[in-house]
Amino acid sequence: MPYKTGFIKTVVLWGILLSGVPASSEQEFWDLPPLPEASEYGNVLIDRISLKNRIKPVAFSHWTHRQKYTCRVCHFELEFNMKVNTTEITEAANKEGRYCGTGGCHDGKTAFGHDKPYCEKCHNGDRSYGKEKFSELRNFPKSNFGNGINWVKALEKGLITPVNYLTIKPSDEISYDKGFSLEAEWRGIPVAVFSHRPHIKWLDCNNCHPDIFNIKKKTTKHFEMTRMLNGEFCGVCHMTVAFPLNDCKRCHPGMRE
Amino acid sequence: MRRVSWALVFIFVVVGITLAQSDGVKKKRPLPPDYGKVIINNYSEAAGLSAVVFDHWLHRAKFTCRLCHVDVGFAMKAGATGIKATDNMNGYYCGACHNGKMISEDRVVFDSCSKRTGQDTRMCERCHSSGKNVKKDYEFSKFTDKFPKGRFGNGIDWEKTEAEGLVKPVDFLQGISIKRPSLTIQKDFALGSKQEGMPDIIFSHKKHTIWSGCELCHPEIFVGVKRGSTKYSMVEIFEGRYCGVCHSTVAFPLIDCQRCHIKPVS
Repeated sequence: MPYKTGFIKTVVLWGILLSGVPASSEQEFWDLPPLPEASEYGNVLIDRISLKNRIKPVAFSHWTHRQKYTCRVCHFELEFNMKVNTTEITEAANKEGRYCGTGGCHDGKTAFGHDKPYCEKCHNGDRSYGKEKFSELRNFPKSNFGNGINWVKALEKGLITPVNYLTIKPSDEISYDKGFSLEAEWRGIPVAVFSHRPHIKWLDCNNCHPDIFNIKKKTTKHFEMTRMLNGEFCGVCHMTVAFPLNDCKRCHPGMRE
Repeated sequence: MRRVSWALVFIFVVVGITLAQSDGVKKKRPLPPDYGKVIINNYSEAAGLSAVVFDHWLHRAKFTCRLCHVDVGFAMKAGATGIKATDNMNGYYCGACHNGKMISEDRVVFDSCSKRTGQDTRMCERCHSSGKNVKKDYEFSKFTDKFPKGRFGNGIDWEKTEAEGLVKPVDFLQGISIKRPSLTIQKDFALGSKQEGMPDIIFSHKKHTIWSGCELCHPEIFVGVKRGSTKYSMVEIFEGRYCGVCHSTVAFPLIDCQRCHIKPVS
């Protein structure tokens, strides 16, 4: 009865979503990973060689940095990879003015440098480091998950004015604001709406293309929700720093509460 | 019915997990010295040697791309040339230069795979060095220290490096290259973007011909007889075809969008 498989999938899916007590196998399939506290969302502990050298891992907070710089600056200009511990950050490189130590960043002028008294400002091994400053953001537009902050709105309202480049100015010519809708794989799930516009305010084209997404619709292979939950595709950012996938309605506006 | 649906869910979970080897993530970029590094292992390991590690950065600082990929005849894909030790001994491929006779910048270029090198494994290891900690004569950061910096790839702006005369890539190999009168260099032109809002590409023949001559690209990669006769898309380029033959392997990589997409949107 092939004509029924779509129907069955829909029924099963809604069954799982509505029942609230999914069986263990579905849990892997559908459950979203637990979220940290709002003040810790996007915080990463970097320990590539720190502990090996008997130094505490670095606590890095995305919410602190994204107020001042767009994603593009660090993940494009400064060549930070998108996965923790994969960038070969070393003390020497920082002191030479690369990565964290880039001029205009932690160079000892713009922000604290790499001298003795400041070690523990990063090498503190504490994921919640700097938490007390989070309350300063209490008047920011709200969202339901992640940092509990609607960063897109915060930017639109001018509550933050992150710098978009240090030395490599993005072309003014790229005014790419094409949006489109993406059919859901499962019947009964409303379409996802994607817009380039809010993305290019933070990102450079190459942050997403072509590694994460191909540039032609429907040519990105295995672009599925389950993969995103696994940290692929949208999940590269929207599980780690940008609003998490728990916020269904933000992409699937037709989704019922 | 219920059983069928649970079975379906189970199948989906299993398929989901088995498929879950990552696409859709950011690729880790190679370190600057590793960009353009090629590991050649057609016959090496079978012959009891480590695979060959070839560094483009060192060779391109001394020779044009054209010299090796046109005159000497190296294929453009790693391993596709199928170099044998006897080829090198007979003066083909690596042996065209690495013959123990050629002089490059006042140095005799060491010979590859000769009877003489065969007796000293340290000689073999100058190239057959994959997985070995071999000290090379040229060290990347020292060698490239004065070169203008660029983003991605080797972290070097090779175009500028050449323009400033910091490298003077040799384009003629005695006994192998044949000099032909050069053609007039075509003018720069714009390649229209297919997407609204996306700046057009400015393509410069001049910048390319220094390294590539004509034959590296024409007629095999681009037919080149008339503009528009080769139809290609960015998706194909990302797959490693057309511009992507070089610009994802050796020349600055494709993630440097605005290095090509620079013509103002009208």
